[in-house]
Amino acid sequence: MPLELATVSPLFAEFPFEWNYIRSIVRVSLYVSLVAVALSTLFSLPIALLIGFKEFRGKTLLTSIINTGMGFPSVVVGLIVLFAVSGQGPLGSLDLVFTPEAMILSQFVLATPVITGVSLAAVSSVEQNVRDAAYAMGGTRFDVALVTIKEARYGIATALLAGFGRAISEVGSVLIVGGNIAGADGESYTRTLTTAIQLEARQGRFETAMILGAILVVLVLLVNAIVVRLGSGNGGYR
Amino acid sequence: MPIHRREMLAGIGGGATIGLAGCTSSSDGGDDDEPEISGETITLTTTTSTYDTGLIDELNAPFEDRYGVTVDTVSQGTGAALETGRSGDSDVVMVHARSLEDEFIEDGYGVNRRDVMFNDFVVVGTSDDPAGITGGNDVEAALTTIAEKGATFVSRGDDSGTHAKELELWDAAGVGEFGEWYREAGQGMSEVIMQVGQTGDYTLADRGSFLSMQSEIDLDIHVEGPIEGGPELLANPYGIVAVNPAVHDGVEYDLSMAYIGYLTGPEGREIIEEYTLEGEQLFFPEAISEEPNFQQYVPEDWAPSEADD
Amino acid sequence: MLDARNIHHGYGAETVFESVSLSVTPGEVVAIIGPSGVGKSTLLRLLALFDSPNRGTIEYGDTDVWDVSEQRRLEFRRRIGMVFQEASLFDASVRRNAEYGLRVRQPWTDRLRHEVASLVGRTNGTGAEIEALETVGLGEKVEQDVSSLSGGEAQRVAFARALAYDPEILLLDEPTSDLDPRNTALIEDAVLEARDRDIGVVVATHDMHQAERIADRVAVFLENDIIEVGRTEDVFDDPDDERTRKFIDGELIY
Repeated sequence: MPLELATVSPLFAEFPFEWNYIRSIVRVSLYVSLVAVALSTLFSLPIALLIGFKEFRGKTLLTSIINTGMGFPSVVVGLIVLFAVSGQGPLGSLDLVFTPEAMILSQFVLATPVITGVSLAAVSSVEQNVRDAAYAMGGTRFDVALVTIKEARYGIATALLAGFGRAISEVGSVLIVGGNIAGADGESYTRTLTTAIQLEARQGRFETAMILGAILVVLVLLVNAIVVRLGSGNGGYR
Repeated sequence: MPIHRREMLAGIGGGATIGLAGCTSSSDGGDDDEPEISGETITLTTTTSTYDTGLIDELNAPFEDRYGVTVDTVSQGTGAALETGRSGDSDVVMVHARSLEDEFIEDGYGVNRRDVMFNDFVVVGTSDDPAGITGGNDVEAALTTIAEKGATFVSRGDDSGTHAKELELWDAAGVGEFGEWYREAGQGMSEVIMQVGQTGDYTLADRGSFLSMQSEIDLDIHVEGPIEGGPELLANPYGIVAVNPAVHDGVEYDLSMAYIGYLTGPEGREIIEEYTLEGEQLFFPEAISEEPNFQQYVPEDWAPSEADD
Repeated sequence: MLDARNIHHGYGAETVFESVSLSVTPGEVVAIIGPSGVGKSTLLRLLALFDSPNRGTIEYGDTDVWDVSEQRRLEFRRRIGMVFQEASLFDASVRRNAEYGLRVRQPWTDRLRHEVASLVGRTNGTGAEIEALETVGLGEKVEQDVSSLSGGEAQRVAFARALAYDPEILLLDEPTSDLDPRNTALIEDAVLEARDRDIGVVVATHDMHQAERIADRVAVFLENDIIEVGRTEDVFDDPDDERTRKFIDGELIY
């Protein structure tokens, strides 16, 4: 086993920009995943509310399609998004290939079924009589939707966490559409924690990979803790 | 106009992340005098074997300082790098498979190919050398022996330049049957070298990748390439091609040509020459020469008569 | 003030009631009595403007509420309060529940400011929700979470929630059917207090004694229809319809 921890320090000496490198990677990861989750939430919640409380033909089918989408392979999403944003694709004129925005797009596609599906389960469990009460107290349909979201807040928080976890920890699609680019000065452009781990491991720099992996786990734990904390504080619903 | 959009998007991205731990940093690489072109970006697709050695970063930093042009480097296999160029998603391509580069040019996707540098391939393996191929530097004989003894050989198996070269070598060695001893990894060079270090016996590697990983693994060179007196068959030349702006009008042709000019000029030559890992030179520049070398601009089998058709 | 005229309602092929008319004026309590499952709840939901009746009209003042814009209808809805058989409270504090009707009537800027303020700390209410909670004897429990309340207390919060924004009409759907006698008495007192404040109350109940205790008029809902409406003592002492007499005497079992 030639990869002892003793090699850590010479390895750092080789990379004078090591911490700047890691910081910029964390920044790109957070930027891409947080924006993707935020956009996905704005898109998913109304859909979940709509599906949850409207009866229509094909509702069961639609629900199972969403649930299937939760497990959609990320590399396939990456390929589809690449085709969409590539020079020849329908979004080609936006020139998004190998940009953080393309990664946001692919993570949006990945996170949306998760956030929609889990939110749908959460809002569906809100009792009709509570919604009726909001309506009867003079609430508009929008007020009823707000009450539903508030009642389902723990479930929706879980949905956001699941979506964030899916987004920040996936490697396949961001590698394909983002290109894993870091500048010559070690400043990440489209390199995320996951693609960096993949790169470092491929080059045998397991120590850096481990550091990045630890940061990824800590980040996910941290975001979980923050959301749980906000949730248990009763989310300003007092 | 695509650059402007990209800039705008990057601006949005930057704005959204300013709050994060004060870790925004701009390219403050000592550019006191304003470069003429500023804030533009070109995308280079290249192979993992060049990227992983760290040479590309070494080359790009002075270029970015001088021209104010950011080079986004995407490392892929040779096949994928050329394919990305074909779809107009990169502006310039640097790879090491002449036949594929020629096809790229013949199909009209690339223009102005230049030789950049070369190194060579080596057959590497565990130091105990189970098939006993060390000595002689006869790559065909070595491969035949590996096949006969059934020693594990890990192939890239990813349609890369190295993979293409390896298949060419098996062909030259007359080995047509691959048994259980032959494993296709489907991964990059570094991963394959790691695999050999842990579970395999031999592989074909470019010297640069091998040297850059030498400190991480316990492998030796068993068959040398031409740099160390081995057969010319193991030569590994790198070429650079600009994506044809007549086919994809969105590509940054003039900036790409500036980049190619820089890489194949005196400054690029010096950086390539002086780039060492573990005290060894990885690449040998071959762009600047007093002797004319027209071959580098056109496909290898191209003859002027064809142009008359 | 609120008039249902010859309304017919049903779901698909199933008819809930054929042709029902009922009105309520300010300062009176009208009880709808009848066995469970005859459509009292459906009638109250129509009066609360949840759905439009299949046939017939519902008028507020002299306006057909289904003949005006959604915005206008919202104004009518906001003059109506409702309490359901289940408390149906929001998962929040007693105060947040009681003030809900007041909040939805505020402009968005005020609501947003209030939401932000409540994230930082507790906020002061408007006072009206405290008054309403005091009416049902829960002035002490303003800051508690509703999950800590007993069933009776929860239902009283629901009552205060409907009372807080000072509606003109109060619709009560079996408000005490799950409650013990003490909480039932507290709610009934609050109903009478609402009547004294000139609120028109419609209460659906299967408890004839409750109707006798609090109602000024009684509507008897039997066999898909209101078969008799009259002053409480008239209906109980001298019903016009033979079926009413049998129902009151407990001979008619549904």
